[in-house]
Amino acid sequence: MIHVKNITKTYGKKANAFVALKDVSFTIPTGKTVAILGKSGSGKSTLMHAMSGLDRPEKGEVLIDGQDILKLKARAVDNFRANKMSFIFQSFFVQANESCYDNVAMPLEIAKVPRSERRKKVEAALAAVELLDKKKSRARDLSGGQKQRLAIARAIVNEPEILFADEPTGNLDSTTGEVVEDFLFNYVKQRNATLIIVTHDPDLADRCDARIDIKDGVVHKITGLDTPVKAKKPRIAKRKIQ
Amino acid sequence: MKVTDIIRRAGRSLRQAKTRTLLTSLAIGVGAFTITLSLAGGQGGRDYADAIVTANTDVREIVVSKESEDVDAIPRYEEGGAGRPSQAQGGAFTQGLEFLSLDDLDDMATVKNVVSVTPNYTPGVDYIQSESSERYQATVTTFSPSVSLEYAAGSVDGDLGNDEVVLTEEYAETLGFNTPADAVGETVTIGATRQQTAFSGGDLERDIFSFTIRAVSSESGLAFRSQGSLLVSMETIKELYTYVNEGTPGYNNFLIASVIVENADQASAVKADLEAKGYTAQTSEDVLGTVNTFINVLLGVLLGFGTLAVITSVFGIINTMYISVLERTQQIGLMKALGMSQRDVGALFTFEAAWIGFLGGAIGAGLAVVGGTITNPLISEALGLGDIFLLIFTPVQVLSVVSGLILISILAGILPARKASRLDPIEALRTE
Repeated sequence: MIHVKNITKTYGKKANAFVALKDVSFTIPTGKTVAILGKSGSGKSTLMHAMSGLDRPEKGEVLIDGQDILKLKARAVDNFRANKMSFIFQSFFVQANESCYDNVAMPLEIAKVPRSERRKKVEAALAAVELLDKKKSRARDLSGGQKQRLAIARAIVNEPEILFADEPTGNLDSTTGEVVEDFLFNYVKQRNATLIIVTHDPDLADRCDARIDIKDGVVHKITGLDTPVKAKKPRIAKRKIQ
Repeated sequence: MKVTDIIRRAGRSLRQAKTRTLLTSLAIGVGAFTITLSLAGGQGGRDYADAIVTANTDVREIVVSKESEDVDAIPRYEEGGAGRPSQAQGGAFTQGLEFLSLDDLDDMATVKNVVSVTPNYTPGVDYIQSESSERYQATVTTFSPSVSLEYAAGSVDGDLGNDEVVLTEEYAETLGFNTPADAVGETVTIGATRQQTAFSGGDLERDIFSFTIRAVSSESGLAFRSQGSLLVSMETIKELYTYVNEGTPGYNNFLIASVIVENADQASAVKADLEAKGYTAQTSEDVLGTVNTFINVLLGVLLGFGTLAVITSVFGIINTMYISVLERTQQIGLMKALGMSQRDVGALFTFEAAWIGFLGGAIGAGLAVVGGTITNPLISEALGLGDIFLLIFTPVQVLSVVSGLILISILAGILPARKASRLDPIEALRTE
């Protein structure tokens, strides 16, 4: 269960202040797939960063299974991310010079998984995205779709409870994109994990259980979640004039 | 992250930028090379100086003389007096030195831990001659059992017998022996004149002394000893001295005496006691100290160059590490997003710097050891040192050079590592 309560994030100071998120609240039950939709600059990426503890909003709470991660110390948030969360990015961020095996092993190293257990986990993750035969290939030799599959393997290897995907198919053609989506949704279903996809692709959003529409830093509309929080009218424009 | 994983990952990152890593390492390698060589040269030089001093002096020996109170004054001539070396030695006077009398020698013997006091007997003998040769000029000096000599033939273990002599190779050849071995066991005679009879103006009284050749000393890379010197025992040289000088004004007045202490550790204490009594004393350590000072100055200059090279390479490391951080911004951002702590990110780059230092140190020191080992015989040959090597590598030195450079590299990596650890993952992952 992810509980986002009244998050406000402002960039810059005084005259240059830009409110990226304004009083955002919602609740995502465990095992749901949620799409966060919005145009670029709407604050959807900032929201994802806040939910994962990468960014620290100045106001509000992010409760994950009852624990407010914004109140945790840096080290504890790092541990939280290493063991419970994972990320998939639009531009893959696979380590081009390293083998597929080493790419996938990185989260296990960070999470201090004993070496004896790593091999099995890495191979299972690679098998899940059908890349086991590329184990020893360098990541740079893979195609775009394969790279994103590798990124998925890296994201699921430590069996996270929450998966964040930032435009996972943004750099892929629709056919490859669909294959990648399938792997992603398969994992989530098998593990009853929570998937949060940041996208502006309505087709991808349609595959999710729920969607949160964001506009100018404010939740515009929430569909498919049991406890829809009533959207507040944007008051940012007024602030700006002042 | 576990330390072993960080170290392995650091090594892997460096392998992915092989050329850059290697070039940066080579810069430190130059410093490591110079420092290792200069340390080896310093060690070799000191050992060499040590060997020279022990080959020529006795570590238990203190050389004592007496400075006159008015050191700078040119001595006044005294009629019939023996007060001045110039008169006693019948020639050049030694400015600033006073004679040591028998009383002085007795005085020295009262100092604690002194085993013996022997004056430096300098009997002016006339010639040396073998059974089948002409007469040749010769100088006789005292054989010291504790001074190491190299022998071309025969050897002396312990002290020399009273009717025995050690010749140099040159003398053995001049006196008509085909090989040094032929000379051993043969007899030579030394002729001497009683100086008193020369002073008194009557008939000269002469005598010859017979000796058996015990051994022939060979030329050594270490020996300062005059190749013209014949070595005889202490007893013999005293006998010769007495025969030659008895009755002359300078008889039993000596310029130099050698004081033997019980063991080498006491030398400096005895030296201090002797100086308190007004004598000038020099231990073999003092002699060694002078030589070592010279070596240390040379060593310091070389070390300075090495240190300069290391300092230069430090900037190279900092630069390389900064470039590496910039290049891997995304990777750092990703690792942080995946939960890698600031400390671990810093440690990763610190270990990379350490690897560079290790590599540079190992390459530089390794090349120095290999190169030094190969050129050692050539250097010794060129300088005529025989089988003495001037570059001596010790594992401790090499290890401390390498570990020192690792430490310096780590220090150089501090700033870039800090930059990496403080990188904002959101910013880092925004870069396309």
